[in-house]
Amino acid sequence: MDFWDILQYAAWIAAGLLVLWMVLDAIRVSKHFSEDVLTSSQEGIDELAVQQEQHRNGR
Amino acid sequence: MAKAKYQPPKQGVVGQIIDALLVLIAVFLALWVPLVFNLAGASTRTILPAGVTQETAADGTVTFTGATWENLGQNATMQKQWEALGYDVNSAAALITQWFDYSFNWSMLLLTAAVIIGYFLFLLVYSDKEYKEVIAEKFDR
Amino acid sequence: MSDVALKQAADQTTPSVINLKKVLGPAHVWALGVGIVLVGEFMGWNFSVGKGGAYGSLIACWVVGLLYTCVAMIDSEITSTVAAAGGQYAQAKHTTGPLMAFNVGLYLVMAYTMLEAADVLVIGDLVTMGAEELGRPGVDPHPFVFFMVAALAFLNYRGVFMALSVNFLITAVAFVSIIILWVGVHPFSPGEITQHAEMLAIQPLPELSNVPGLPYGWMGVLASFQFGIWYYLGIEGTCQAAEEVRSAGRSLPLGTMTGMITLLIAAALTWWICAGMLPWDYLGQALAPLYDASKMSGSTFLHVLLWVATVFSATASANGCINDASRAWFSMGRDRYLPQWFSAVHPKYRTPYRSILFLIPIAVAFGFTGLLAQTITFSILSGLLGYTFMPINVMKFRRKWPLGTIKRGYVHPGHPIPAIVLFILCVATLFAVFLGFGAQLLAMMMFYILASIWFVFHRYKYVRRGDQFTMAWPRPRGY
Repeated sequence: MDFWDILQYAAWIAAGLLVLWMVLDAIRVSKHFSEDVLTSSQEGIDELAVQQEQHRNGR
Repeated sequence: MAKAKYQPPKQGVVGQIIDALLVLIAVFLALWVPLVFNLAGASTRTILPAGVTQETAADGTVTFTGATWENLGQNATMQKQWEALGYDVNSAAALITQWFDYSFNWSMLLLTAAVIIGYFLFLLVYSDKEYKEVIAEKFDR
Repeated sequence: MSDVALKQAADQTTPSVINLKKVLGPAHVWALGVGIVLVGEFMGWNFSVGKGGAYGSLIACWVVGLLYTCVAMIDSEITSTVAAAGGQYAQAKHTTGPLMAFNVGLYLVMAYTMLEAADVLVIGDLVTMGAEELGRPGVDPHPFVFFMVAALAFLNYRGVFMALSVNFLITAVAFVSIIILWVGVHPFSPGEITQHAEMLAIQPLPELSNVPGLPYGWMGVLASFQFGIWYYLGIEGTCQAAEEVRSAGRSLPLGTMTGMITLLIAAALTWWICAGMLPWDYLGQALAPLYDASKMSGSTFLHVLLWVATVFSATASANGCINDASRAWFSMGRDRYLPQWFSAVHPKYRTPYRSILFLIPIAVAFGFTGLLAQTITFSILSGLLGYTFMPINVMKFRRKWPLGTIKRGYVHPGHPIPAIVLFILCVATLFAVFLGFGAQLLAMMMFYILASIWFVFHRYKYVRRGDQFTMAWPRPRGY
């Protein structure tokens, strides 16, 4: 087993770990936040507009 | 005339998963099938210069007998560059004698054109119908 | 992020609305646009040399450059007004209608995901090539393909600012390296390293062409438009950043136009270097022509620099593609054109994380095929259908909201000439694709037709009608 063999295995493992981390994180996020909050983003409405709206509504 | 606002049905988790999988499968079919069945790619043909013959050995190596840089149409500078790239006359000949075939048949062209034009017309006409509904709901209420 | 931190984040702020993060400036827009495309100068464009010879490729470079200038102008005007993550998808929704928008969204996702697959495929091959040059043949490209997709998806998952800042850096290095290579081949003493006069003296076969220098005659020039697209494909992806840019009306046109100028320079230099050093028969099928040219220059420094630059350009491109494809997918999910599940925004990183995850397997699968020209063709075809829509798009936009009725961040000059020119060039390029990849063209059309039928009969019922129209514009004329 030379350097290039090790590098190939390292690439497989590192890639697998990165994907695993993302999948686990996605699952954790789904557990902690409700689906309504996660999918609440709206087109054409940016943060400023949301803040102004909340301000007007007295929040 | 304000129609009631359209209330879409809520799609359950299972339905969402099925739809996502359907799209995924359709993508793979459309893109993989031509690749796998080798339908993809341009058609090519081999054109050998006069006096050159081509033989394919049992292991797949191709040899060109009688090929020279001159009859392959390469001048001295080109020859020098080929050699710098690590090619000899024989290996270069394999690339040089490959030509694309641009002949096409008109019925295929007409069919393809009809498919594309028909597709765009369908999109535009149907979109416009849906668009009117969107505008009506957005601005009439 | 740990469970505790997540819980805290959830408890303290509990935002009722999570949107994408507005953090990008014009430099990021440039990095997104040029980053996706610049790889086209390092690989892929040269297939146009195979189609029509070196001069054919140069003509394609100019003509298709004109096509893209039209695309960039039209896009800049509409997107500086429709600032939404879906880019052309959101434009289509507002100017044309839902079914068209659905198709445009699919074009975007397909074009970018296939381009991403082509990028990582090249990175895998470059690692194999590099190992071979260092005396270790037989290294498997697959683990590197998978690693690259995973690492870039991870970067995108964790935030757009970092992802595009990295892109700016590696794109700049790749661009500068083309200039360094150009200087390194002594452009002002022709005949020393570059040999344009002799290398371009192509004697065509009399049965194929009677035009000196054009091995397939004018037919070949037309055919080379197919891969001429590759010089610029993806510059229009700047629109996908619209929702994350701080002042979209200014940054998007600025980033797109400077990006287009960068690409025209890079394309011209690339053609000049390669055409003067590599025989056209070789160039027409090479994997990484600029890298080959650097090897031929005889300088170890240039050799190493161009290996790094080629890897960087492919990385930047794949990175930008993940960004763009996921934004388009996300936007379609948000309007329920696709399952709503995909429209989730990560509460901490503020990215469309589920869309990013979902597109990983597609990119990896096609990266594993090893078929570069075919994968590129899928991308080109989807891109091309999108460009064919652009003239329709701008005509409708100007007709429904004439100048002065809404505020535009940028108004492109000469309307409708760019739209007409673009339309004619798109038809010519579709014919070029038909010549080379007719079966794939039909397979692709079948896919879009079936997808449209699925959308009409099944999917559209989940879509809210009036809510899709999100811009605060007056009612369109004539509706």
